[in-house]
Parts: sequence; structure tokens; C-alpha cells
Amino acid sequence: MMERISLNQLGSMIVLFLIGSSPLFLLASEAGKDAWLSVFIGMLCGLALLWGVNLVLYRYEPDMHLFEIIMKYLGKPAGYLVSVCYVLYFCYKSIRNVREFGDLSLIYLLPQTPLAAVMLLICVTAGLSILGGVAVFFRMAEFTIPIVIVIYALLFLLMAGTGLLNLENIMPVLDEGIKPVWDAAFPETVSFPFGELVLFLMFWKYADNRNAVTAIAVKCYLISGLFITLTNLLIVAGMGKLAPVVSVPLMQLTSSIEAARVLERIDPLVALLLFTGVMFKLTSYYLGAVLGIRYLMKLSNKTAILLAGGIIFGGSFLFRNYMEHIWFGFRYNLKYHFPLFQIVFPIMLVMIVAFKNRLAAKEHAE
Amino acid sequence: MSESPKSGNESGSDAVKALSNDLDANIKWLSGELGTEPDIVIRRFQVLRNKRAALVYISDISNDASINTLMMSMLDEGLKPVADEYEEEPLQALMLRSITVGAIRQLNSLDHVLLAILEGCSVILLDGFATVIAADTGGSEKRGVEEPSSQTVVRGPKEGFTESVRTNTALIRAKIKSADLRMEYKRIGKRTQTTVVVVYIRGIAEEKTIQEVNRRLDLIDTDSILESGYIEEFIQDKTFTPFPLFQNTERPDAVAAGLLEGQFAIIVDGTPFVLLAPVTFIKFFQSSEDYYQRYDIASFLRLIRLSSFLISMLLPSLYIAITTFHQEMLPTSLLISLAAQREGVPFPALIEAMLMELTFEILREAGVRMPRIIGSAISIVGALVLGQSAVQAGLVSAAMVIVVSFTAIASFVIPSVNMGSAARLIRFAMMFLAGTFGLFGIMAGLMIILAHMSGLRSFGVSYLTPLSPLVPGNLKDVFVRVPWWAMKKRPSMYGGEPTTRQGSGKQSAENQGNNSQEGKRDR
Repeated sequence: MMERISLNQLGSMIVLFLIGSSPLFLLASEAGKDAWLSVFIGMLCGLALLWGVNLVLYRYEPDMHLFEIIMKYLGKPAGYLVSVCYVLYFCYKSIRNVREFGDLSLIYLLPQTPLAAVMLLICVTAGLSILGGVAVFFRMAEFTIPIVIVIYALLFLLMAGTGLLNLENIMPVLDEGIKPVWDAAFPETVSFPFGELVLFLMFWKYADNRNAVTAIAVKCYLISGLFITLTNLLIVAGMGKLAPVVSVPLMQLTSSIEAARVLERIDPLVALLLFTGVMFKLTSYYLGAVLGIRYLMKLSNKTAILLAGGIIFGGSFLFRNYMEHIWFGFRYNLKYHFPLFQIVFPIMLVMIVAFKNRLAAKEHAE
Repeated sequence: MSESPKSGNESGSDAVKALSNDLDANIKWLSGELGTEPDIVIRRFQVLRNKRAALVYISDISNDASINTLMMSMLDEGLKPVADEYEEEPLQALMLRSITVGAIRQLNSLDHVLLAILEGCSVILLDGFATVIAADTGGSEKRGVEEPSSQTVVRGPKEGFTESVRTNTALIRAKIKSADLRMEYKRIGKRTQTTVVVVYIRGIAEEKTIQEVNRRLDLIDTDSILESGYIEEFIQDKTFTPFPLFQNTERPDAVAAGLLEGQFAIIVDGTPFVLLAPVTFIKFFQSSEDYYQRYDIASFLRLIRLSSFLISMLLPSLYIAITTFHQEMLPTSLLISLAAQREGVPFPALIEAMLMELTFEILREAGVRMPRIIGSAISIVGALVLGQSAVQAGLVSAAMVIVVSFTAIASFVIPSVNMGSAARLIRFAMMFLAGTFGLFGIMAGLMIILAHMSGLRSFGVSYLTPLSPLVPGNLKDVFVRVPWWAMKKRPSMYGGEPTTRQGSGKQSAENQGNNSQEGKRDR
């Protein structure tokens, strides 16, 4: 019997996954005070992608995950090549998150611990989280999401309540026209974080109520998209021109929270909150890679987890330091590499699937 | 008691040895098997004028009074004139006219006869018949029903289970007077032949679960069951977990409440601890008293218990993490005073905490094991090793003593001992993670525990239900307990249909009361 996940679990995971590491960065920083608008536009483009491509693929093949679809429609050699690319893409995304997680731990929590040790613990934790399979991991998300939401809400209320936000920092809206906003939105904010939902092509098929998947996916996507926009707005409103300069603006902002002489230095706690998101994101990619490896190489669950874990742990030493990692990610990956997997290829795939299905339907009719 | 232990194929012998027609042969075989110990009584007598018969029983585990009555009535029978129709059926005659014991059985095989005798039955053998009558005259020394030593309550029933399975089933029957209350008897353990009873309410407990527990119980192949802990380890869903997958209780009211929610109970002869399953994590934080007290204080106490669990699991590790890695989180004045205290302490915080926690665990174990009479010694010595003297000796800091003591107190708040021990075990792993990775280590540890708990199941019920998978209808009795009249539906998480507990409509007397008062005012 295949594992099943409830809609509630699916929705929780979408929200946690999309929030993931995005509050760590000031997205669309080139757009300046209108960054939040860029994020909003990015969200709408992402929605089109989710609605028009991702979920369409699901509706054509509700019993298959991404790799099964690829192998079915592209055949052995081509499909295998594309699948391997996707496994590597999932691993790479996971690597980036492990590295972000590790480096930020060193910055904010554990200045003297070796990076390798921290990243090893991250990989082990992620590996243990997916050992129980898809259903167990999605149940974890369901359990975690209320806690995360409550803490974020408290955090935002504290920010607003202690007078950190300054609306002058975001006014006037669209001071320099729509052009820089659009430039910053496409393809950067589309490919991070909104386009990343391509990973969920691996998970749709586990949903226990097929008819409601589209609705819940779109609903949760909108919730998390608005949340990310709000975070962005708060960062810009709170920090103004300083925002793009700091490595993690939200952390900087929370460290200035002072309330009642009790809640003064809560940044380690906020770091943990941010890390929870990162953890779920990297583990989801890890799980995607493991499912892919299991399907392509016919390995057992444990072997696949060890293999993917080895790749991810080893791969996280690719960059010399955090700055190179961020620079490479935002400069090249977001512009050239990720859109390939998130936009170009899924669109091609959906066209192929639609075409072949129509052809088959026609033959059937004749 | 209508339930008498079924003697099916439990004796385990492949070829069932039949009784012979000859009384002497049967007695010879029985005395050969049972030996000639003084407590084994083989009493020959005559019934129905001239029939030779024998009564076999073990005096130590039989009730003298009922055996005396039985003997008297059968000897009387020997003197009375016998109706003709009974001449051909002496066995029937005996059963119909002279056996004073209620629960009797007819047995054909030697092994079953032997087992019946060992259970405390008196066996009546009649010459010329290959069938014997086993009359339940069992009754050995029993402890009376007393207040349970664990899981005490301020308000609520004070009776507790005893070691006798009969007493325990009686206590449950006394609470639930329903014909749907089912008790399935089994014998487990090749040598101990322990009576194990599966109790459930038909129509509330899920049928599949009952089949599953019966299947698992039948698979047990061991020579002895001395306590319900044996059963627990044999049939739990997962062995390698610090979390208990069975609830155990000494309280009949807790068992009754569990049965009424759709759980089943396993009573094992010889122990007052009854198992309840399927169980979820939150169940271990519900005390029976929650339902007897007002809902507001019950909800408050529930939250206190849950936080105590977290404190008991995490406080020492948080202290280690914050003092070692994240000093900036502390207010400056507290930081200075902590630093001043720790100045003279020779060990890092992790070692210090480990030392103190181990000391406490040793003290606790000593307190449990040592004879009651020297109990006061431990409090005197304990206060020395875990108190001001330890601080003055420069071994530990005063703050650490407070942390360890508070952790200890918090661990006693958890109503279920086995969930408390889960927190105890996890605490040490957490302290180690905190000592090496700080708050990040604690978070990773919690993540791993969450992953582990998400995968746990107790008879097919996910351990974290109703939180994940989320069952909104069952949240009325998790963090808070809503008033009784608001819990209209039975929780559905243990399977079975979410049947109704009470009628719909306004059940609160408050509403009814207000209405009638308003009515009066109108007049």
C-alpha cells in the first residue's frame, strides 16, 4: 500500500517549503524600496507557473511523480539524462540550503564550531527525518506549522509594537516606475522562491484526495506568497537603505527589538525559527533526490538516503565561503540555471505530455 | 462470574490424551503427574449409592468452604434414594442434583484435567466414565482492593486494581454495566499459563484493532508471563523507541474511560497494572482527575503537565547551551552573577550538568530500591550531594543545583511514569547535543525526535494524533479539556465510529437554569 498524505499535510508542507529560507534574504533588493512589489509580481508569475504547468502535469498523470512522467514521455536515453539532471538539481538545491544553514549557524550561533561538524549534523538530521518515508516527513510539517506561524506572528507584532517599522522607507510606491520592479522580479524572484514548487511534482501523487489538490496547492501558495511579500515589506520598512547591505536583514531587524527588558536579545531564537524553514526546505529537496535515486537506480530506501546524503554533504563544501555561495547563487543560478529546471523544462514537458495525450485520444477516437 | 478460562489448545500438547473409563487408572496418572505433595488432595468417596468417585484438588489454591459444601452435598447424595431415570446417567445426576458450585465444566482430556486442577478447580472423577466434572472452587490468598500507589488523585475513586484478574475484571464490570463489554480470556506462557484478558466495548472499539491484538497475543511463544510489561514488549509496534506505546494504569476508572473512548485493555493475572492501547502521545498527559475537576483548572493543569514534560526534557540542555554558547541571550546582570558563580567551578557546564543529573538519578533509584525504614537517611544525604554543600565544596554552581532540582520536580509532574522515563532518557542525549552544538544542537535533536514520533504507531494509530494527522474534532481534549457537555462526540482517533456521547442541544444546566429564571422574572 502506498503512503498517503492528507491535504492538510500537503498544505503545511507547501507553506513551510515556500517560506523556507526566503526570510533570510532581502529578495529583489535591486528594486530598492519597491522590492515588495517585485516579490508580489514574482508571486503572480509563480502562480501562473504552478497553475498552468505544474498542476496541469499532475492532472494528466496523477499517479506518477516527476521522474515517472519523464521516463514515460521521453523514453529511455533522453528521459534518463533529464532525470539525472533533475536529481542533481534537487541535490544542488539541498546543498545550497545546507551551506546557508551551516554558514549562518557559524555567524549567529556557533562561531567556534567547525563548519563540517555543523553540516554533518544537518545532513544526519535531514536523513533521519526522511527515513520514515514521505508520509512521516509530511506529518512533521503538519506538527511544526502552527508553532512556526505563531512565532512569526509574535515576531511581526513585536516589530510593529516596538516602533521599528517606518513607513517612510517604502513610500512613495513606484518612485522609479515599473521597469526596475519588473527587472528584479523576473526571473529572480520567480525562480527563488516561487518557482521552486517544481519539487512538488514529486509529492502530488501521494495526496489522498485528488480532487482538492489544486485548490489546496493554490490556497497555500497564496498564503505563503503573501507572507513572503509581507516579510519583505517589513524588512524594507524597518531597515530602509541598510537592508541590502546586511547579510541577514531580518536577523538584524529582530536584534533591535526591545520590549519590557525581557525580550531583548532574542536573535538566537529567531535564528532557530529561520532554520526550521531552511531545514524543511533542504530536507524536502533531499527527499526529492532520494525518491529520484530510488526510482532510477532501483535502490533500497536506506541506500538511497545514504547516497544522496553523501552527495549533499560532500557538495556543501563546493564554495569557499558564504559570500561566494550567495554571489554565485544570486548572480548565476537564479538567472541562468534554475529557470531551466523550474520554467523552461516543465513547460516543454507539459507540452509534450499534452501533445502525446491528444494524439492518443485522437487515435483512440478513430 | 460467567467467564471461565477457556481451555482450548493452550496446553500445547499435540496428541490429546483421553481419560480412561477406569477411575483407578485416571487417579494413578494424575498422582503421577502431580506428585505426592501434601497440598494435593485425592479424596475417594461413593455417590449415588454405590458409584465410586474421587475428588482431586490442590488445597492451597482452593476455597475450603466451597469444597466442604460440595463434599457434603455429594455425600448426602450417596444416602438419598436415586430416581430411576438417573441410573443410566449418573454424571448428569451429579451435575443436576448435587454439585453446589456454579461454574462447572466437563473435561475429556487428561491435560485439561491437569490444567484445571492447577488453576484451582476441584475435579470430580466418576468410575466408568471418561468424562470428569471440573468445579471452580478456586480461591487463594488475595490482597484487598486498596488505593493505588501510583497515579493518585485528590478527587476521584480511590480503588485500585489488585493482583487477581478476577477482582480486576469485577472492578471494570462494576463501572460499565453494559452487555457490550467484552472480555476475551487467553492463556499465555507455556509454564506459567497466565490468564490474560482482552477487554473492550463492542461497537466502540474498532474490530480490526481487536483482531490485531488477538493475533499478536496468539503469536507470543514464551514460557512465562509474570507482569503486563512482558506482554507490552512482545506486542508493541516498535521496540526501539524511548516512548511508551502502551498506557498502564492501576485505576479502574482510567481503564473504564479508555474503554469508553475506544481503547482496549489487557489485564494480566498477577499484576495490578493494566495495559491500555491504542494510545497517543497526548494520552500520557491526561490524568483521570482532569475529568472529575472543573474544566478550567483541568485545562490549566494539562498545560502545566505539557510544559513540565518540555522542562524535564530540555531545561538542563537549554542551560548548557545558553551558558556555553549564547550568553548574549541572558540579561546582563544575570549573566554577571552566573559568571561569578561559575568562576570556582572546575568543569565545563556539560560535565557539571551530567554529574548533577547522574547524581540525581542515583538518588532517585536509591529512594525507590532501599527499604522504607531507612528512608529518612536518603533525604539527609541527598540534600548534601544535591544542595548547598555541593556548591560550597566548589564542585557545582548554585544555578546548576537549581536547574537540576527544577528538572527533577518537573519530571514528577508527568502523570505517567513511563512517559517520564522517556523524558529522562532523552534529556541526556539533549544535554550532549547542547554541549556540542548549543541551541542548534537542541533544535536538531527536537527535529529528530519529531521525525521519530511522527513515524510511531500504536496499533495503527499515529502517535501524534490528533495534532498530526490533524483531527480537529479531537482537539477538545488535548491542550485544554472542554466542559463535558461540549464533548458530544467520542474521539475518533482510536478507530471505530465517532459515536455520540450525549444528546445534542443545550446540555449545560447553566443555559437551562437561566431560562427558567428568566421565566420566573417574566411572571
